[in-house]
Amino acid sequence: MAGIVFHNYELDECCYKVRLALSMLGLEWQTVAVDAFPGSEQVSPLYLAMNPLGSLPILKDGGLVLHGAETILAHLARSRDPSGRWLPAGGGEFAGVMQWLVFSAASLSVTVRARSSALFDTPGDEEAPRASAAKALRIMDDHMTARGFDGADWFAAGHATIADIALFPAFALSRDYGVDHDEYPALRRWARRFRAVPGFMTMPGIPDYH
Amino acid sequence: MTMTGGWHPVALSTSIEPASSAGTHIGGGEFVVWRDGSGAAHVWEDRCPHRGMKLSFGFVRGDHIACLYHGWQYDAAGRCRYIPAHPDLEVPKTITVPAYRTVEAAGMIWASRDPEPATAPADPGEVVPVRSLYLAASAETVLQVVEGFPPRPFGGDAGPAGLEPVGANLHRLDIGPDTLLLGLQRLSDERTALHIVIAGPAETYSGEGQKHFLAWTAALRHRLESAPAADAVLSTEAV
Repeated sequence: MAGIVFHNYELDECCYKVRLALSMLGLEWQTVAVDAFPGSEQVSPLYLAMNPLGSLPILKDGGLVLHGAETILAHLARSRDPSGRWLPAGGGEFAGVMQWLVFSAASLSVTVRARSSALFDTPGDEEAPRASAAKALRIMDDHMTARGFDGADWFAAGHATIADIALFPAFALSRDYGVDHDEYPALRRWARRFRAVPGFMTMPGIPDYH
Repeated sequence: MTMTGGWHPVALSTSIEPASSAGTHIGGGEFVVWRDGSGAAHVWEDRCPHRGMKLSFGFVRGDHIACLYHGWQYDAAGRCRYIPAHPDLEVPKTITVPAYRTVEAAGMIWASRDPEPATAPADPGEVVPVRSLYLAASAETVLQVVEGFPPRPFGGDAGPAGLEPVGANLHRLDIGPDTLLLGLQRLSDERTALHIVIAGPAETYSGEGQKHFLAWTAALRHRLESAPAADAVLSTEAV
């Protein structure tokens, strides 16, 4: 099958990262809906064959089968965005994007656990992940406060990159796991700008103002 | 416990952009801070009278703020003007949200519950914003730690630092040639927001000066959080 095939679960914030990227890059794709809750289809033998980690999102592009939202974002930007804006080719901007992609995949994974525990009742302590999530968001707010003093509106470049896409869901969905936006003024400003990027779309939990 | 008398800072002016809103707390009570399309700031109780939804989750259109649940729209005086489910209804004037007196001074948005509040914080002239710092400590503890751990001046050698109140919740911190203004917001008994601006021209402080004092705020927060107890911080300082 030619083209991009995206295995998606609507309530998964990592799938939302990929939906944002596909839309903001102006791409065409085919969606396969995965019954992640309550069906746990992503850990069925069929899906484990595509991603042994048993997680979403999964994206097929020609012969490639990719998992992990940050990897998929980087692949889409490198292969589909000849301008190089979404993933700058070199210098400090490339390094900055990589740093925040890794932050998103590693340090922000606690926000995924906090939200999953709050929404889907997955076992585990609720309070500790929430406190760690708040701390991770604070690191982002500190960074964007400093960026503002350099006259920069975005995490890693003078414009939106895939780093901003990777980081947006954890903040925008934080109320799902009981962390309000009150104490992150720099992230509130950044999120307002992000919502104005062409191709922006919402998901359940992120209001569509009308 | 909720908002006491006098003026309370609730945000840096630059943190609330036109046509945006944010939630905040004073004395444990919930408030929405929002700025209408024309730029005027408002502080209200953060509760839609319809179903109790937080208005800070809503959105601003022109000079109205709309609740996210059912779109009830309120004008700048807090009166409900439009209910989407009943578009032809003339909304009863009894449907209102408690609104507080709101002024902007020293680069901050201030609110007061008093019908005739004390004089608003004096205008110190040009200010340059640094940040709002959110701390898990009482306002009194925060002030003591600030006094014991002042920043180095931006432009000169370290000199004696002086912290003095210039209003109920506004303090002036002189460090060498520089002056910071600190707005103290008592979110609750155990949580405080410190709204920090530099008193001085953007020409001098914009960029590097802001970053200089931003670095101090991170160190200040670290000091507060790494101390086993606030008392221990103070006794260390006293040595």
